[in-house]
Amino acid sequence: MLKFLRRLAGHVVRGLVMIWIVTTFTFVLVRLMPGDPVETQYETLLSKGMSPDQAKAQVAVTYGFVPHGSVWSQYGHYLWQLLHFDLGKSVRAQGVSVTTEVLSSAKWTIGLVLAGTLLSFLFGVVLGVIAAMRRNSHVGNGLSIVGSLLHGVPQYVMALILVTFLTVKFKLFSTGPVDGLLEPGLNGAYIASIVSHAVLPAVAFALSSFGGYLLSMKSSVVSVLGDDFILASELRGIRPSIIFRYVARNAILPLFTVLALSLGFMVGGAVFIENAFNYPGMGAMLIASIGQRDYSEMSGAFLLITMAVIIANICADMLYTVIDPRVRRGEGA
Amino acid sequence: MSTTVEVPVVKPVVPARRTKFLTNLWKVLRRKPSRMIGAFIVALFVVMGVIGPWLYPDNLPKSADLLAGPSLSHLLGTDFEGADVLAELVIGSRYVLTAAAVAALVTVVVGVAVGLYAGYRRGRPDSALMRITDFVLTIPGFPLLLVLTTVWKFDSALQMGLVLGLTGWGGLARSVRSQTLSLRERGFVEAARGLGLSTPHIVSRELLPNIAPYVAMNLLIGVTTFIYSQVGLFYLGVLPYNSTNWGVMIQLAVNNGVTQTGAGLSYLMAPLVAILLLTLGVVLLVDAMDEVFNPRLRED
Amino acid sequence: MTTATESSTVDERTSPGVRIRDLTVAYRTPAGELPAVSGINLDLAPGSITGLVGESGSGKSTMALAMLNAVQQPGRITGGAIEIDGLGDVLSLSPKQIRAVRGGSIGYVFQAAQNSLNPLKTVGKQLLDLGRSHGVEDRRALVRQARELLSRMGLSGERVLDSYQHELSGGMRQRVGIMLALVLNAHVLVLDEPTTALDMISQANILSIISDVHAERGLTTLVVTHDIGVVAEVADRVAVMYGGRLVEQGPTVDVLRTPSHPYTKGLITAIPRLTGDPDVARPLPGRPPTLGTIPRKGCVFRERCAVYAAGAREDCETLDPPAHDVGGGRLVACHAVEGEQ
Repeated sequence: MLKFLRRLAGHVVRGLVMIWIVTTFTFVLVRLMPGDPVETQYETLLSKGMSPDQAKAQVAVTYGFVPHGSVWSQYGHYLWQLLHFDLGKSVRAQGVSVTTEVLSSAKWTIGLVLAGTLLSFLFGVVLGVIAAMRRNSHVGNGLSIVGSLLHGVPQYVMALILVTFLTVKFKLFSTGPVDGLLEPGLNGAYIASIVSHAVLPAVAFALSSFGGYLLSMKSSVVSVLGDDFILASELRGIRPSIIFRYVARNAILPLFTVLALSLGFMVGGAVFIENAFNYPGMGAMLIASIGQRDYSEMSGAFLLITMAVIIANICADMLYTVIDPRVRRGEGA
Repeated sequence: MSTTVEVPVVKPVVPARRTKFLTNLWKVLRRKPSRMIGAFIVALFVVMGVIGPWLYPDNLPKSADLLAGPSLSHLLGTDFEGADVLAELVIGSRYVLTAAAVAALVTVVVGVAVGLYAGYRRGRPDSALMRITDFVLTIPGFPLLLVLTTVWKFDSALQMGLVLGLTGWGGLARSVRSQTLSLRERGFVEAARGLGLSTPHIVSRELLPNIAPYVAMNLLIGVTTFIYSQVGLFYLGVLPYNSTNWGVMIQLAVNNGVTQTGAGLSYLMAPLVAILLLTLGVVLLVDAMDEVFNPRLRED
Repeated sequence: MTTATESSTVDERTSPGVRIRDLTVAYRTPAGELPAVSGINLDLAPGSITGLVGESGSGKSTMALAMLNAVQQPGRITGGAIEIDGLGDVLSLSPKQIRAVRGGSIGYVFQAAQNSLNPLKTVGKQLLDLGRSHGVEDRRALVRQARELLSRMGLSGERVLDSYQHELSGGMRQRVGIMLALVLNAHVLVLDEPTTALDMISQANILSIISDVHAERGLTTLVVTHDIGVVAEVADRVAVMYGGRLVEQGPTVDVLRTPSHPYTKGLITAIPRLTGDPDVARPLPGRPPTLGTIPRKGCVFRERCAVYAAGAREDCETLDPPAHDVGGGRLVACHAVEGEQ
């Protein structure tokens, strides 16, 4: 237990250092931006007739630091606000805090990514086992090639092909934004709207990512099947169904790490799917904020995407210590 | 009690030389027709990127027939301005492939240098370099590229390749390091030291040739990711369209309502299918390379 | 290095006899089906320990697997029979029957160097899986049996059953392997390289456990090894394998003291003695044959044979020497030995 906590603490410290580096990076980026956005907003506010003090205060609220100050005081102020989870104010949506904006789009992305990832994990694992069991037949070879291909093809190719054929040719789903007027809750209209908007993106997501799980599961199963203890179990007359469970449990273990890691990357990795399906998630938000040069929103979104990866990394490692007795109980404990 | 009759068989350690690698690759390629197809597809794309654009004039003639389907005069149809889609596809391949090649070069130089140094020196330099590598690997690459588009315009393929390479070397450094470590474990380095060979000699003559095939394989996969990333950036429309490339084609097709109306389908599909085809080629070729490096995978 | 001269106290009622007849195992290779084991005839007397020695590639491990009809792909048993008292011919049992026999009637102990346990389950859980697979109803009795066996081998049953594989030392794992092989009351025991990769103390320990357990439970045991020391230590009879054939078999003491087959002679002179001139030990020239290099015709050993080198006989090149009874329970497959008589 002590070992577990020490390990966790080490990860958390390293994660915090990384988050600090990323925040510094976004700070420098905003400062270095061609035609300094801070300066630009300040000038704009002045030209709208604000007093210099008012304008300064307004800019400080948006970006987390006061223009014209020394770089260090600006940096200090910026970090101080971040420590209070204050990411500044959105420029696009006037007056709304970036934290609120980011969290509300994160909600959409997490729903999509969770559904898509679980779906693809399930398919990938099952097909991977089949590909491994039948690896010397056409079925196995075919599955491997399809897996590599789907794994290799970028998401936008999959998404665009799906959108074009299903929406245009068959009019199956609507791709407009989710209707904001519907009352969220357990009413039929709301659920129907979610299904028609979220199912296709989730399927596209699953289609473009299950290949990776298929390939990993296949190679994992093949390697476990070659392990000595499988033959040993056969020689002890262990029932095939039990041996199958031995293989499955040993083979799936490394995949949980992959799963946890990919969940982290996918908060920011659904960009193309969201774009192709008009889905209001983190990726769409990041693109929109870049398009409209809303720097505070952009840094906020990027920071959250990075944090998701860092947290997923920690979870993946900790997960391993929980499910693998070799790590959990230590060598010769 | 250990009166063993086992005769120890010492496997001779033969460094895989490049020529041997190429002949092996050829042998393995010929074993399955699918692999030859893969090699052919990849070669086709390279030729297309290198000499293709010379075949077309700088300003493409415009046909009056907008967003037309495939026909004899326009094999892949026309775009919303009436330009030939095939011509655009070929011209557009240059930026994409050049940037990917530059990115690959940067990745190899940085990745191999970091990985080799870390694996060869071990200890402190190793852990320091691996921390940096972990950092590069953790930062989500594509969102980072998106953010960077606010600072750089990526007018030249060179610039694009440089940024792609500098954000993408982490994985290669990791695997080169573990390869180097495993070569060390097999006694390569100690044996060479024992023979009185210098460090540059050991690195360039003993380690590099053994790592090279592995790097080549990773690179092939890497190149496809670089292509996807840059096409993706242009497709999302966060970069100005001042050159013809596949991403711009996709973006313009979507903006001109191809996904909504279906008119000019071949305009949208041409770059998408090109990417699919290239992926297929690389997948098939990697299957062959895999077998060269892991003879265990060979089917009896 | 002591030789096992004391005749073990045998419980004749339980120990089954084993008769291997004309056993042939072939492996599918790109060059066609090649025999790894050809025409083996071997009797394991009830209650005896037989040592099967050979170099790597001699087919001895394939033999061990064949005892449970478990030769792995791309190999398959192409002919012969393995008769075990009370079971019949193991090779003609149905898949369901053979699964019941494995672990139930014949115990198999893996090489010490290999991990024969599921790394994700405790030994106890795997014991219960074993019980479930063989339809054991009384789980408590099974666990009690296992604990007794383990403590008989000098381990704390409680602790071991609650351990994962990585928490056990090599010697402990090997004892767990023996426990799992015997806990269901198997009376035929096959051990494949039981001491390889163990340190000297553990080796001695495991060997004395094997002898004791063998005697106490009335087993018929086959020990497959490349280590003549192991055979000298525990075996009543020894069978020497080369190139997929049995070249010599007989009582351990006699075979080790006065080997007849040129290969057995070569093996024994290759052993350095603790006392005397170490230079007397002479390694056998050449390398053991692999599947593809076993001569198809004539004696498989002739290329390394001192007798053949001294004066080539024609039948060595044309005729695979049959096993020949030289008296005293000894069989030798060599034209030269046959000629002397």
